[in-house]
Amino acid sequence: MASTGPAATAPDAVVRVDDLRVSFPIMDADDVHAVKGLSFELPAGGALGIVGESGSGKSVTSLALMGLHRGSRARISGSVEVAGQDVNAASDKQLRAMRGNDIAMVFQDPMQSLHPQYTIGNQLVEAYRVHHPKAGRATARARAIESLERVGIPEPAKRINSYPHEFSGGMRQRVVIAMGLMCDPKVLLADEPTTALDVTVQAQVLDLLDELRRDLGMALILVSHDLAVVAGSVDEVVVMRHGEAVERGDVRRVLAEPEHAYTRALLDAVPRVEVSRAQRRAQDRADRVERDKAAGRITEPGEFAAFTPSGTTDGDTPLLRVRDLSQRFKVRGGLWGRSSDFWAVKGAGFDLHKGQTLGVVGESGSGKSTLSRMVMRLLEPTEGTVEFEGRDITHLSERALRPLRRDIQMVFQNPYSSLNPRVTVGDAIGTALRVQGERNRGEIRNQVCELLERVGLESGHYNRFPHAFSGGQRQRIAIARALILKPKLIICDEPVSALDVSTQDQVLRLLSELQDDFGLTYIFVAHDLAVVRQVSDRVAVMRKGEIVEMGDSDTVYENPQSDYTRSLLAAAPVLDADESRRLRAERVQGRAQEQATV
Amino acid sequence: MLTYILRRLGAGLLLLAVVTMVTFWIFYVLPRWAGVTPQGMAAMYVGRAPTPEALAATVDRLGLDQPVAVQFVEFVRGLLFGQEFTFGRETVECAAPCLGYSFITNSPVLPQILDRLPVTMSLAAGAAVIWVIGGVTVGVVSAVKKGSVFDRIAMSTALVGVSMPIYFTGLLALAFLVHQWGLFPVSRYVPLTEDPVSWFQVMLLPWITLAFLHAAQYARQTRAGMLETLNEDYIRTARAKGLSERKVIFKHALRPTLTPIVTILGLDIGLVMGGAILTEKVFSLNGVGAYAIDAIISNDLPVVIGVTLLGAVFVVLCNLVVDLLYPIVDPRVRINA
Repeated sequence: MASTGPAATAPDAVVRVDDLRVSFPIMDADDVHAVKGLSFELPAGGALGIVGESGSGKSVTSLALMGLHRGSRARISGSVEVAGQDVNAASDKQLRAMRGNDIAMVFQDPMQSLHPQYTIGNQLVEAYRVHHPKAGRATARARAIESLERVGIPEPAKRINSYPHEFSGGMRQRVVIAMGLMCDPKVLLADEPTTALDVTVQAQVLDLLDELRRDLGMALILVSHDLAVVAGSVDEVVVMRHGEAVERGDVRRVLAEPEHAYTRALLDAVPRVEVSRAQRRAQDRADRVERDKAAGRITEPGEFAAFTPSGTTDGDTPLLRVRDLSQRFKVRGGLWGRSSDFWAVKGAGFDLHKGQTLGVVGESGSGKSTLSRMVMRLLEPTEGTVEFEGRDITHLSERALRPLRRDIQMVFQNPYSSLNPRVTVGDAIGTALRVQGERNRGEIRNQVCELLERVGLESGHYNRFPHAFSGGQRQRIAIARALILKPKLIICDEPVSALDVSTQDQVLRLLSELQDDFGLTYIFVAHDLAVVRQVSDRVAVMRKGEIVEMGDSDTVYENPQSDYTRSLLAAAPVLDADESRRLRAERVQGRAQEQATV
Repeated sequence: MLTYILRRLGAGLLLLAVVTMVTFWIFYVLPRWAGVTPQGMAAMYVGRAPTPEALAATVDRLGLDQPVAVQFVEFVRGLLFGQEFTFGRETVECAAPCLGYSFITNSPVLPQILDRLPVTMSLAAGAAVIWVIGGVTVGVVSAVKKGSVFDRIAMSTALVGVSMPIYFTGLLALAFLVHQWGLFPVSRYVPLTEDPVSWFQVMLLPWITLAFLHAAQYARQTRAGMLETLNEDYIRTARAKGLSERKVIFKHALRPTLTPIVTILGLDIGLVMGGAILTEKVFSLNGVGAYAIDAIISNDLPVVIGVTLLGAVFVVLCNLVVDLLYPIVDPRVRINA
């Protein structure tokens, strides 16, 4: 903890947090201590990253900086000083004068953080006039247009009259940032500003924050669960865990030579885009052999059923053959309105052999989920064919599909909403067996318990309800549920995107081990490039419903043929401050060139 | 925007057509299925103790022995173009939207309803103003001061308000406020155009009584909606801008809270305009509701049908107004326009 104590006090610190403690009283239980003695300082114009997994207290800290715990049950001690103002001691009026004026905040979800019923102009003007009551409407409006222009909203004078729903996610986040800039704050506090955004949009927003900070001399606090997101944007980083700062220091030092074991574990868990599928697999297997040895079991590499990828590409029929698959949705224009066609997926095709993993990567709206739903036959394709084990299943009836449901299973993105909260875990997993005709309750129970242990849970969890489990555990339950019928193909739709990095790493390992043990075939759908590379033998890159590039994962990543793939790779955050700055410079240059040619 | 309006209007007309059909079916077809003869039905129209000749004449005049389809066409034609009713030598004209002819009061139904409409409209408008202002105010204060003494008292009162019927609160009010303590005058309805002051004095108690029931419901709804809105991210954004709490609540939180309430308000006003039967009866107001209940008691079927249809028209109209207001209240609705 030596490195976490307050550093030499800089006289020009614009944010100074000393021994901050925040706790929440809970009825009939001990208080929850969300932040336990946090200290840091941010010099004027500096940039600080606060990194931690869910529950680490990072968001509680950012709310404390804004004094937004006022009126809640939170108990706060220690001192928080923003621009010379003691936040904890300030009156409500002083606090309001500080918010938005000295320190402005950008929130996580731009879909939710703008008022849906007022134009963005109205909301921006309001942000200015609350701190400049003498300024006229016209002045404030001119300033709003200027601010929108500054964050790269095209045609700001026109767009100022638009409502938030008329902007895309990335544009909305720019609007939120523009709102933060209205009063030239000394500090911009961005709490997970890019978590809800696509990679390319994330890169744009991070680039923008970096540029604004440099141009306007603002200090920046970037809060994130992802070390790679802050790597290229901050000078100093605070790593938080369970309400405490476990490590604090220069970002290069922390990333290169982490002192604390937790930081090291966190860094190890972050999937790296430069690590190939083979490397990852070898590492996972080595770790497993090690672990089993320690536990007194002996696992020979030969025992892995799928140690060498089976199903060589020539000759035998692939497990799954997809040709020219398209899905059209009718977009209705309201009551009696004319409908128009929207092609969610257009002409997708691939072969997938037994024991292999196909990674499908793309941004939101690229059609990757629709594609997996068609393969699963949750949707009936509009055009094209799906063959499973050589059999055309494209237009099979629901009844004819039933035996097939055993062979193709799915793991969904959100482990919180994909489990029925009123059904015990054992029942949730066992139901599939019952549906498929198993009558013996004892047998069902045995199988479920065995599987629970296999996915790293305990058989004693059989009668518990989903709310008793963490996100990672729930995803294990979801995997067990998919496995119970011994499927041949498992479609994982963003299985780890809702999880913390360390949990994500564990779930990825589990999936890899299960593939070894049962010779499973996966379709792995995700937006995270690094994750997809590490689990996939082949990768399909999707954009606007079409597969723009497909091939060996190593080839696609190391020698991308399509411009889109290249731009995706350039936008992916990397865990190296200098590399990440270099990529940023490249992006900025690329954009400048684009501007010049237009 | 124009297509949106036209589409909504079309939907409203379609709905009215369906309501007309169902109403017709209930009053003309259902009795037949239950085994009521044309004579029996005629008896319902003619009133008590008719002679067989009078019955036969009525059956003939109303075409009750005709096939159902013919009767429906007749009924719709009456609605669209008017009808004539002949009594021996006398012929009565029932003008364009002819809702039928009452053989008990010996007059077409519509003018009678229109006569009573101002009473019902006064009642509905005044009560709505009171219940919206009262309910929303109480709801907002309760939500902002959640868990306070005010909140608890208000919500308990609201619970009582929701669970007490008009004929209870109304009679209590009459007994104590009017007869015991004489706080309100005892008098008959005075049209607004004749004497606004008396109109207001007479209507005040019915307004409060009717509003009490609805205000309770609106207060609970507003409180729940407000609490939900206050948890929204955009409220946090508003606070993070440095806005005062008053601005946060009245500008940012109130509008989304009121959005769903506008919908319920449309329905409620429509319903009350179709006749607030209990309130009108309790306070002896001669409105549409009272007319309907009298008609039911005296078996005056044409009046019952007429009031039902008119009530449907009001509900449809109010919903139409709400639909048209909605894009103004919530800009997101405009996407589909």
